[in-house]
Amino acid sequence: MLDLFTYDFMQRSLLASAMVGGLCSVVGVFVVLRGLAFVGAGTSHAAFAGVALGYLVGWPPLLLAIVFGLATVWITGWLEEKGRMKLDVSIGILYTTTMALAILFIGLMKAYNAEVYGYLFGSVLSVTSEELRTIAGLGILVIGAVVIFSKELYFIAFDQEMAEASGVPARRIFFLLLTLVALTVVVSLKTVGAILVFAMILIPASTAYQLTHSLSTLTWYSVIIGVSCSVGGVVLSSIWDVPSGPAIVLLATLLFFVAVLCSPK
Amino acid sequence: MGKENPAHMTDSSKPIIRFDHATFGFPGVIALKEISLAINAGEFIGVIGPNGSGKTTLCKAVLGLMAPLEGSLKIFDCSCEELRCHHRAKIGYLPQKGVVDRNFPVTVLETVMMGRYGALGLLKRASANDRKIAVDALAHVGMDAHRNTALGHLSGGQQQRVFIARALAQQPQVLLLDEPTTGLDITTQHNVVELIQHLHEELGLTVLLITHDINMIRSLVDRLVLLKTRLYAAGPPEDVLKPDILRQVYGKDLVITEKDLVIVEDYHHHHHH
Repeated sequence: MLDLFTYDFMQRSLLASAMVGGLCSVVGVFVVLRGLAFVGAGTSHAAFAGVALGYLVGWPPLLLAIVFGLATVWITGWLEEKGRMKLDVSIGILYTTTMALAILFIGLMKAYNAEVYGYLFGSVLSVTSEELRTIAGLGILVIGAVVIFSKELYFIAFDQEMAEASGVPARRIFFLLLTLVALTVVVSLKTVGAILVFAMILIPASTAYQLTHSLSTLTWYSVIIGVSCSVGGVVLSSIWDVPSGPAIVLLATLLFFVAVLCSPK
Repeated sequence: MGKENPAHMTDSSKPIIRFDHATFGFPGVIALKEISLAINAGEFIGVIGPNGSGKTTLCKAVLGLMAPLEGSLKIFDCSCEELRCHHRAKIGYLPQKGVVDRNFPVTVLETVMMGRYGALGLLKRASANDRKIAVDALAHVGMDAHRNTALGHLSGGQQQRVFIARALAQQPQVLLLDEPTTGLDITTQHNVVELIQHLHEELGLTVLLITHDINMIRSLVDRLVLLKTRLYAAGPPEDVLKPDILRQVYGKDLVITEKDLVIVEDYHHHHHH
């Protein structure tokens, strides 16, 4: 079995899953604390519509995924700020709209395209070196922004009004968070797929939430849980020959319920 | 932090907060109308008024979250229209209970450290000195032994102390308290009020306390401000707490007992919370 790790594709997929796991779990902390779970679910489907359009018109799928993802979160945030719609309603509308677009784009394709489905269900074993570099680049960007603005991100998650009163540019930080969520979703699309990416954002942070009362500890626990589940999921999927995305998510879910049962809270 | 508190350096004859015919709200929904009020350094001001009288709007205005539609509001002689205005850090704020999710995974010290934000700004990291200021603030409210405790594990009164410490960590000149005793039992209410009184005296802080509980604060404050969209009265408690003035504002919600005790039964308040 150890022979498996000598293959290039296996090393690439382990690296990709570790990076995606770490990234999702860091951003996930703020998503869970700020109550943005549904926003991420919507974004991943919007990003998938971008991928489908990319394959349809022959443009880079990841680029269009970023455009679709960002457009969705920004429109959502803008509608909430205007007071027109609650966040969950507007994201629900965009979620179904973009999913309809994705199905439309796939329907317009002349032939069956297996690669598109790779983005829907995740195919970590087929990650290329180039994709690995994209993940690393965007990942560094997102983690860098989180590190630089962690003070502000925690503060607006805790108490947006108080943060604003203290001089935090709360609205800009909120849009920054939405942007980071969108980028994280796009980065993770190839590895875990549009359907499961949000599990990777929500579950490690929620698991860590059961185990600690400190913000800094929460973030570290979330990263450790996220990376272990991603790497563990890939290893299990190759040992048992099952799809990697579900393996990662089901492992994370298992850990979540163990944490709920053992929670000191 | 007591000795070097900047409040002592302020010229006490000059108002630090000055409303001048200021109107607040949204076009069509006026929350406060033509308020004129000057608050001097070192004063203890109680703000009272029925529900929906604009007490919380007054709070937001002082915090700089709402600009006047008409008239002006100056804080330390500044209009504070800029979001990053440094005068904001001089106002320590205790939000109304229930605004903050008290089960948020955060420790006592992490909560108080958020009070250092105004001094730090966007990109600076908290230093050992910021930490010391936060721990000192906790000591002032008698909570320094709990610094690593989860906020959610504390009682309501202890949490209130922690939030007061967060305001103190700003090293403010003004303490702005929005209903600090609501939802606490009677003994705890008195302890919190005593703490506020103590901080007012020891640190020379100007206190702006918003409450619906007149009896609790009437003996503490220098001046009472009575609001109901307009400013009905402002002055020493004995001048403001007169049956004819109060009846204008509270109507039949007002009950006065034989020992000149004023009891305001704010039913709406209990229904809404």
